[in-house]
Amino acid sequence: MIDEERMKILTDGAKYDVSCSSSGSRRKNTKDGLGNASLGGICHSFTQDGRCISLLKMLMTNDCVFDCKYCPNRRSADVPRVVASPEEMCELVMAFYRRNYIEGLFLSSAVYKSPDYTMELLLETIKTLRETYKFNGYIHLKGIPHADKILTDRAAAYADRMSYNIELPSEQSLKLLAPQKTKDSVFSPMRQLCEEKRALALEYKRRTGKEEKRGAGRFLPAGQTTQMIVGASPETDGQILRLTEFMYRKYDLKRVYYSSYVPVVHDPLLPDAAAGLLREHRLYQADWLLRFYGFTTEEIAPAGENLPAEYDPKCAWALRNMQYFPVEINRASVEQLLRVPGIGAKGAYKIVTARKYAKLTFEDLKKMRIVLKRARHFITCNGKFCGTENPDRVRTQLILAERTDSAKQLSMFDASSLPPANSFSLLDSDTARLSKTAEESALTLFASREDKQFLLNSSPETAKSALTGEL
Amino acid sequence: MRNIYLTDGTAETFFTAVFDAYRDADAFLSPSRALQTALEDRFIPVLPSKEKSARVVKKIRSIDKNCLYDLDCALRTPAEDRERAAFAYIRLLIRHNAPIRGMLTFPEVRRIAELSDQVGSERHRLSGFLRFQETADGVFYAPCSPDNDVVDLLMPHFAARFKNARFVIHDVSRKIAGIYNGNEWLVSPVGTADIVLSENEESFSALWKKYYHTVYIPARKNTRQMKGYMPVRYWKFMPEKQNEEIEFPEN
Repeated sequence: MIDEERMKILTDGAKYDVSCSSSGSRRKNTKDGLGNASLGGICHSFTQDGRCISLLKMLMTNDCVFDCKYCPNRRSADVPRVVASPEEMCELVMAFYRRNYIEGLFLSSAVYKSPDYTMELLLETIKTLRETYKFNGYIHLKGIPHADKILTDRAAAYADRMSYNIELPSEQSLKLLAPQKTKDSVFSPMRQLCEEKRALALEYKRRTGKEEKRGAGRFLPAGQTTQMIVGASPETDGQILRLTEFMYRKYDLKRVYYSSYVPVVHDPLLPDAAAGLLREHRLYQADWLLRFYGFTTEEIAPAGENLPAEYDPKCAWALRNMQYFPVEINRASVEQLLRVPGIGAKGAYKIVTARKYAKLTFEDLKKMRIVLKRARHFITCNGKFCGTENPDRVRTQLILAERTDSAKQLSMFDASSLPPANSFSLLDSDTARLSKTAEESALTLFASREDKQFLLNSSPETAKSALTGEL
Repeated sequence: MRNIYLTDGTAETFFTAVFDAYRDADAFLSPSRALQTALEDRFIPVLPSKEKSARVVKKIRSIDKNCLYDLDCALRTPAEDRERAAFAYIRLLIRHNAPIRGMLTFPEVRRIAELSDQVGSERHRLSGFLRFQETADGVFYAPCSPDNDVVDLLMPHFAARFKNARFVIHDVSRKIAGIYNGNEWLVSPVGTADIVLSENEESFSALWKKYYHTVYIPARKNTRQMKGYMPVRYWKFMPEKQNEEIEFPEN
């Protein structure tokens, strides 16, 4: 059995990896096996930072030959180095899984001796887990950049999901802060795995005449994800979201995670202060708009700019495009409803369902638990409008809505990170510039066919995972 | 004046009551005797009848088979009005003679949707929050006290996972347990259980506690969010939330 001390060190090294989702796979149990995967994912506990624990997240070792500036395990750091054996890892996973502590394993590692050596160690671990221990729970494997293609491929046959972390949102920052990682060392395995998975899906379709179900198959059923650190380098939200959109389209990523920079290491090249959690939150909101709401990056954020802090990106878009509003709740299409601030996937679904039977009034919406705090400025019910006409006052009200929300529920909105309620001057200057982009947005209001394809997402199942944050 | 149909809280008696009370405009269903009554109220005890209950279920199924799941869920909640809510829903369904699940502007429909969601979400939560302990004879034992009667809803999930391992899910407040022998499961009344833990149990739960406290990132502290996702009432049976060395003050 692994000792507490080593487990602590190996967990400490892995915990800044954000992803903990156990969703996206339909892996079944075998005759004499233990475990299966749940398509929607299951959270087993929550830590005091409000993040879920779904997988046992550990490093194989923290002994690293790389020297990335931001990493506490970089070669030049003076920290105790430990290694776990594949056997110890398997035993721990089995014991935890049987007690229903976890949904599976998230295995990662420092680059130990060489990339190939490390990848072999990881491969051996998950192979033993699957073949000797007959474990059929969820396995998320972190890929090691620069490792041999064959090893990557073999690992993908045992894992449910793999991820290569892009870490920093631009090549320059990568060069500066993670000198041994290159853009290509991350993108090329991503491309390799994506191409292979696409080929297998085609092959399946040719053989059976049907599309393979999401999350089925043996080769990375839950696909790939990646992560980048936000706030350690100078890229804007606009740039970050463009990179995100690129990876969703190009490599079929299931998710991109953003990790707000926390200074664990002091280096002249790194900022000393933690980046606020608000920025990370806004990026996730924008990410959701891309994946589930039919928005494009162009609509959400210009390349050189950050997302607004004072309200969410959908509110920001709506304020720039007031000509589309108000929309009539009883007639608007789902796509239009999804673009109303304050109405989410679940709300839009409820509205579309309920209006088949009766004309909806504001009262009805309230009773259906659709929050109108933001939405009322952008909708009519049977021609009746209950919001504010003046765009400046709408803006003020949206900011106030955000502030009451933050006071009520989200302690991450440190009040100091929001501008004071009376500093609207900075916002008004935006209006002129933004009306320019309105026309462009009009072209994309109804996403093209191809874009709809990109909304991987129209199934109710996925819409549901949009709500729970899984996938 | 009300005609109070007293049931014993089981589904069969409930559906029998629906059969008896369907045309009674003053019908008031209650699974509990603890209710405020007026002098002129009449009590009508309902005895379960397989035949009547089956006829009601058959009728409902012929109109909308999906809503039986929602009704089943509603009857699992401790809500005082659960039987009346389900009764009102059934009346509306039969009057409408077509599925009504989408008619969210109707209070009858919203109430059942709400109760059904409650049960669905607790089932999902417990599939994560349930904690098993290994006993000396190799059975995995998980005590819990859910708000709703969900033990039998959890059994298929864990039976598929644990396959050959024997386990017990014990609802200590309802005094029932789901028992799986490595092949099939059943739910039976169980008051208290005498548990002798296996010798490894303590070291694994200690490792788990260590893990739980290590993955926490203090720079991102957000206790309120933790409690939102994992309500305190579930902590009682989770080893990582026992005797925590760290204090958890409100944010």
